Amino acid sequence: MILKPTREDLKLIAWGIGRVILGIGLIMIIPLVVALVSTEWNTVLDFLVGISSCVLFWLIIENTCYQKKDLSWSHGLVVASAGWLIAMLFGAIPHFLSGHFKAYLDACFDLMSGYTTTGLFLLQDLDHVSHGLNMWRHLLTYAGGQGIIVIALTFLFAGSSGAFKLYASEGKEEKLLPNVIRTARAIWMISLTYLVVGSIALWISLSCEGMPAGRGFLHSIWLFMGAWSTGGFAPQSLNLLYYHSLIIELITLVIFVIGSFNFALHYAVWTGKRSEIYRNIEIKSFVTTSLITTVILSIGFSKVGLYTSLGEFFRKGFYNLMSGHTTTGNQSIYSISFQHEFGFIAMWAVILAMAIGASACSTGGGFKGLRMGIFSKYLWGEIKQLVSPESSLQKVKIHHVRDIWLDDEIVKGTMLVLISYVSIYFIGGLLGIIYGYQPSVAFFDAVSAGSNTGLSASLTSPSMPSLLKVYYIFELWAGRLEFMSVFALFGMIIASIKGRRTGRK
Amino acid sequence: MRKLLIALTILFLLIFPQVSLASDTIPIKRIISNMKEYDGKIVTVEGEAIGDKMIRGSYGWITVNDDPYSIKSLEEGGKFKGLSNMGIGVWAPVEELEDITILGGYKNKGDKIRVRGYFHRACHEHGGDTDIHAISIEKIKDGHPFSKPFEFWKLALSLILFGFALLLWKTLNIKKSKAKGAKKE
Repeated sequence: MILKPTREDLKLIAWGIGRVILGIGLIMIIPLVVALVSTEWNTVLDFLVGISSCVLFWLIIENTCYQKKDLSWSHGLVVASAGWLIAMLFGAIPHFLSGHFKAYLDACFDLMSGYTTTGLFLLQDLDHVSHGLNMWRHLLTYAGGQGIIVIALTFLFAGSSGAFKLYASEGKEEKLLPNVIRTARAIWMISLTYLVVGSIALWISLSCEGMPAGRGFLHSIWLFMGAWSTGGFAPQSLNLLYYHSLIIELITLVIFVIGSFNFALHYAVWTGKRSEIYRNIEIKSFVTTSLITTVILSIGFSKVGLYTSLGEFFRKGFYNLMSGHTTTGNQSIYSISFQHEFGFIAMWAVILAMAIGASACSTGGGFKGLRMGIFSKYLWGEIKQLVSPESSLQKVKIHHVRDIWLDDEIVKGTMLVLISYVSIYFIGGLLGIIYGYQPSVAFFDAVSAGSNTGLSASLTSPSMPSLLKVYYIFELWAGRLEFMSVFALFGMIIASIKGRRTGRK
Repeated sequence: MRKLLIALTILFLLIFPQVSLASDTIPIKRIISNMKEYDGKIVTVEGEAIGDKMIRGSYGWITVNDDPYSIKSLEEGGKFKGLSNMGIGVWAPVEELEDITILGGYKNKGDKIRVRGYFHRACHEHGGDTDIHAISIEKIKDGHPFSKPFEFWKLALSLILFGFALLLWKTLNIKKSKAKGAKKE
C-alpha cells in the first residue's frame, strides 16, 4: 500500500530545500566580491538579484513551512533530489542575466552541468565572459563536487539524525567521522587544503609560462576548481589547449586524479593509514581499468598514426583518456578531434573510460570503481563456485577502508545502479541518433553527460535540440545522485497522486 | 577596355571590401574541420586577438578567434549565433606580437589581426598541439573598450527583492518572539 505524503511531510521537505537554496545564495557572495574587485558593475547586479532571490525564497519557506520534526530517510532523499533541481533554477539567475544564454533552459543546463561536476556548457561567447561569472561557473562546480547538501550541512543544519539522511541521499555513504556534520566539515577541510596547494602550484607555473600575475592568479584558482571537482570547466573556450603547456597539463592531471579518489580514502591517508592506497579496491579497480583503456587507446593511435612520439601520446592521448576516466572533462584537443583525429578505436576507449568513471564518495561520476570492483569480484566468485565441489561455499571479500564480505544485498544494489547507468547512456545515445547525429558522437556525448564527465565530440552546443538538452539535464542530475534519490522523488510524486490518505498528523 | 576593367575592379573593391581584402583568409572552423587537408600548409587567418599574450623566451603564444562574436561580441550587443567561440593558438616571434596591445575579454574588443603561417594538425614541437606557427602578424584594426550602459532595471529589481526579504525577515522575527512568549506563559 502506498501512503500519500501528508502536508507536514511536504512542509518538512520544503523547509530542507529552503536551507539548501539559502546555501546557494550565500555562495554567490564570492563571485559578487570578485565582480566588485574587477569593477564589473553589471555582473555585480546579476549576483545581487541572484542572492536576493535565494534569500527571499528561503524566508518564504521559513515563514510558511518551518517544522520541528526531524527528517526521515524518504524526506532526505527527496530534499536532495528536488533540492538540486530547485538549486539549478536559482543558481541560473546570474547566468541568464549575464546575457550569454539565449534561453533559461541553456542557463539551467550549465548550472546542472556545474553542480554535477560535468563541464559541458551551452554558454555562448565564453571568451568575453566577466571574471565574476567565470568565478561563479568554477565555484559552483567546486561546491557541487563536495555536494551542495554537504555545503548546507556544514553551515545550515544543526546536528541531527536527519542530517545523515540528507548526506547519504546525495550519493555519499561513507561517514569519515562519527558525526555527519563533522564529516561534511572534514570533506571541506580536505578540499580547501588542496585548493591552496594546487592553486599556488598552478599560479607559479602559469607565471613561468608567461601569463600576467593578476589573470594567472584567477586562472590558477579556476583551473584548480575545474580539475579537483572533476568538473572540467576552464575560463577560455579552448579549455586546456589555450595554455599550450606540459606543466599545466601535468599539474591538472595530478589534481583531477587525486580529486577523483574517495573522500574516505583521502581521510584514511591523512590520518596515517597509508597502506590503504595499495589495498583499497577502488584504487585497484582504477589502475586496472586505466591500464586496459590505455592499451585500447594505443592500439587506436597506432592505427591512425597521428600522434607519434611518447610526449604527444601522453599530452593528447593519455591526458584526455584520464580526464574521461576521472570524469573531469578538461581537454587538450578540439572537441571535433575526438571524431576526426582519434579514430574509432581510440574514441571508444575514451567512451569506455568515461562510462566506468571515478570513485564512489568522490567528486567524480560514472559506474564508479567500487561498483566495478564489486561486480568483477562477484563474477570471479561465481566462476570459482561453478568449478568448485557442490558442498563448498565460495565467499568473496573486498577491501574498502575496511574488509567487507559481499552478500546478495550489496550485489543487488550494485547491479541496480549499474543497470540504471547503462540505461541512461543507451537512451541518450539513441536519442542523439534519432536526431541525426553519428552513433559514435551520439554515444560519446550521452555517456559523457550520464557519467558527469564533460568531454564532448561536438554534439553538445547551444543549437542542439531542446529535448536533448532536457534529457541531458536529467542524465546529469540522475547520474550525479546515483539514482536512489531520483527514484525516491518519483516515488513521492506517484504517492502524492495515487497514494492512500493516512490518519497521521 | 582596359580602363573599363580597372573601373570595374575599383567598383568591386568598393562594394565588397571585406571579400576582396580577405580573399586568401580561411575560416578557422574550416581548417579545424579539415585538418588533414591543411596540415603543414601555409594558411592565413584573420580575427580578434583574445585572452592573453604568453611570452616564452623569444617566442610567444596568442589566441585568435574568428567566430561571429569576434566581429560583434555579446558584450557589445551582438546577436546570439547558437555557437561557441572558435579560435586557434598562434606561435610567433616576440617582435611579431609587440603590436598587439588590446586583447579581447569582458571589457575589451581585442585588436583585429591577420596571421600568416604554417598550420600543424599535431605540432611535433609543441607536444601534438593543433597550432599555427606565424610567418607574419599584421594588425588590421585597433581594439577598443566596450561601452556598457549601467543596467538600472537590475538594480531596481534587486532592491525590490531585498525589500520583500526584509519584510519577511521582520515577520519571521515577530513569529519567533510570539512563539517564545507563548512558551514562557
